[in-house]
Amino acid sequence: MRAWLGLVLAAAMMLASGAAQAHPHVWITASSELLYAEDGSITGVRHAWTFDDMFSAYAVQGLESKKKGAYTREELGPLAQTNVESLKEYAYFTFAKADGKKERFNEPVDYFLDYKDTVLTLHFTLPLKNPVKPKQLVLEVFDRSFFIDFQMAKDNPVKLVGAPADCQMKLDRPSDGTATAQKLNEQTFMDGPNANFGMMFANKITVDCP
Amino acid sequence: MKPHLSPLARALLASAAVLLAVGVADAALHDVLAQNPFGAPKQAAAAEPEASGLIGWLLAKQSEFYRQMSSTIRAAKSDGSAVWTLLFISFAYGIFHAAGPGHGKAVIASYLVANRETARRGIALSFASALMQSLVAILIVGISAWILNATAKTMCKAEGAIEIASYALIALFGLRLVWVKGRTFIRALEATQPVPALAGVPHDHHDHGHHHHDAHDHRDQHHSHDDHHDRAQAHHHAHHHTHDHVHDEHCGHSHGPTPRELAGPGGWRRGFAAILTVGIRPCSGAILVLVFALAQGLFWAGIAATFLMGLGTAITVAAIAVIAVSAKDIAGRLSAGRDGGGALFMRDIEFGAAALVLLFGAGLLFGYIAAERTTCF
Repeated sequence: MRAWLGLVLAAAMMLASGAAQAHPHVWITASSELLYAEDGSITGVRHAWTFDDMFSAYAVQGLESKKKGAYTREELGPLAQTNVESLKEYAYFTFAKADGKKERFNEPVDYFLDYKDTVLTLHFTLPLKNPVKPKQLVLEVFDRSFFIDFQMAKDNPVKLVGAPADCQMKLDRPSDGTATAQKLNEQTFMDGPNANFGMMFANKITVDCP
Repeated sequence: MKPHLSPLARALLASAAVLLAVGVADAALHDVLAQNPFGAPKQAAAAEPEASGLIGWLLAKQSEFYRQMSSTIRAAKSDGSAVWTLLFISFAYGIFHAAGPGHGKAVIASYLVANRETARRGIALSFASALMQSLVAILIVGISAWILNATAKTMCKAEGAIEIASYALIALFGLRLVWVKGRTFIRALEATQPVPALAGVPHDHHDHGHHHHDAHDHRDQHHSHDDHHDRAQAHHHAHHHTHDHVHDEHCGHSHGPTPRELAGPGGWRRGFAAILTVGIRPCSGAILVLVFALAQGLFWAGIAATFLMGLGTAITVAAIAVIAVSAKDIAGRLSAGRDGGGALFMRDIEFGAAALVLLFGAGLLFGYIAAERTTCF
């Protein structure tokens, strides 16, 4: 009995300390393009990530610019390079599965930053190591640890560039409560080690090409 | 005389202690892993408990407050009264955000449990470390961004260096706690072995509880030594007084502070290691807000916001500290009826909490817990 009471207390303590744990510090509004080759295979992903204004102000702090409060693509060049180099460690927060098999990306190409209306947008292309032509491609964009909160843009969040005409695209946003709950259950109990907190906030793009 | 503890009771206590330790470790790890993420490759099963609506609500609130900060700072440029809104939002954000650096709560709670500190001290430590966090954030941004006009990259590197130092501090702090508590724990283990009661029996801290009562006023009830009080009566008189103060440096003051002690220099010196360990690492959120405010030409508003955030954080951490201390006190009281095993149980918890601090520090320092790494990107 006493031991149980102690355990209940310990549990209460856990809940209390677990209460406000993960919290994003950076918000990204993303729009993504899936790039297709002429033969209908997928060659890579092109991202445009717009940062929130707080992080944008932080990122441009101390950067030289000819005009105050405005930064050209050239002036932002070194920062863009730092960005993509740092992102490597996090697998670019982009996870692709072709017919259930994990696909890897090469290092980003064609990257640059632009600064407009006080916010930064990072553009970069992630080429797939091996172009694939799957029946189903699943692309997830999220930060497992939820330091960054990814949200797909409201308008034109995903574009299929040069895809075969019969391909169907579906986007699951994390804000969809029911989808999140279901995903969480599945991921938690079926995927084992892949299950994690950030999963709840994944943006899932599914493309079916019959 | 020390009655024998039946094997069953001992096993029960041991398993309860392990469960409690695991519980605390789990909660604390959740903190660590979930805080400053950027990375964290595989964190199995860390997900299930978060699914509840309450957590979702807290997250949503926190994000809401944080995101309002930038627009409020902008508004404050033209409308001075927006500063009040900013202060309120910062305070609320601090409360929801809880301990800025993820390990803060865990380190403070573990320290309090390991060192048999009082809830009162827990509150004082929480406020002091939150204040220090705020000051460090202001200093980093003030010196690097404002005075030196350094870039985000440089600032982030400075942040990273401070971070490594803070992890090393946690590990050192944990090592010291483990050293001190480990010896106490082993002594408690020995004390529970069935040995003749007379002549040179190894004994543990019971004596202190009692000695304290002897030396001082019985109405002095700030602290948690009720747990060994009863046994101490019986135990103490069998031995000689001179053994009392040979144990470790905590012995002289392991009873929890009197108000005088808390305010006096000794009281602060004792908690200083904890304050420094927790407070040296600033919150990324505060740094972002400060740089943003600086860019808007309202650095002072950023500073005010940072202090209010710290105040909010302190309140949350203090609440968690109080819960941790109370849980341990109650566990102590409950196990007090169990004779030798009760003391062992308490030393077990203390040792566990000390080990936890060491594990955090080592894990963070050597990158096993990648979650809390600052990433410059």
